[in-house]
Amino acid sequence: MKTLRALSMVALILALGMGATSCKQVNDADLQTAAQELLVANPDMAGVTVTVADKVATLTGTVAVDSVKALAETTVAGVKNIKSVVNELEVVPPAPDYTELDATINAALADALKDHSKVTAEVKDGVITLSGNIAEKELPTLMQKLNALNPVQIVNNLTVK
Amino acid sequence: MTLAEKYKELIDLAKAHQLNVDDSGKVLRVEGTVTSSNVKDQLWAIYQRIDPHFKSNDVILNVKTNVTEGGKVKVVTMQSRLNIRKGPGTDQPIVGKAEKGDIITLISKANDQWWLVRDNDGEEGYCYSQYLEPVQ
Repeated sequence: MKTLRALSMVALILALGMGATSCKQVNDADLQTAAQELLVANPDMAGVTVTVADKVATLTGTVAVDSVKALAETTVAGVKNIKSVVNELEVVPPAPDYTELDATINAALADALKDHSKVTAEVKDGVITLSGNIAEKELPTLMQKLNALNPVQIVNNLTVK
Repeated sequence: MTLAEKYKELIDLAKAHQLNVDDSGKVLRVEGTVTSSNVKDQLWAIYQRIDPHFKSNDVILNVKTNVTEGGKVKVVTMQSRLNIRKGPGTDQPIVGKAEKGDIITLISKANDQWWLVRDNDGEEGYCYSQYLEPVQ
């Protein structure tokens, strides 16, 4: 009888233990899903990942500005049953868009290079890279023309003769 | 040596003429408009003295000379005559030529690169602005 009681106690403890464990896992996973759904709704937070353990949410990934980092934290903190939020988000400003500047420079480049037949130029991210060769006395004229296009930088790989 | 130290003379002259100077990045940027082409020439002379072949790749000197529409401009080509074109672009047909040293009339600016001018024969067309210098 005693043995049976002891066994049933063990079984009960095991059952409770397993039940408690599985219940906690479901909870965290649900919280994580709920939090992630809220974050996904905001395109500014596309780079944010949330994980939940013991009802504590941890935010990882990158955002463009400080305000979005703060907003992600308050958004997740507002999910019911989340105890606290660990905000490990990194703020990485987006790379500037040089498409328009590159197009403007490229459009004007043919005219600027017209009198310098042995010079070739490439434009990327607002940077003009020169190659080929040029007479020394023509170099200042070319440089003035290219500087007037207001590039980010001029990389001069020209051979000066 | 920082950009500010290396190009101190250039920066000082630029600031004396209220040009925008930004040495916060890896490239020194000097931008703006000056009233006299002499100042622009001086700036370029200083820049060239510091970096004779413009090989340091650490300066953008984008200084324009203030030129009024209807004013006179001088043709400052190296040796050849300056093409006057039908439209603003080297793909446009040539409608005339201006001699080096000629003083002609600026009618209007199509953009920073191409200016509409009238030469001394009364011919009108577009010239590349880099070869035109305002006359005071």
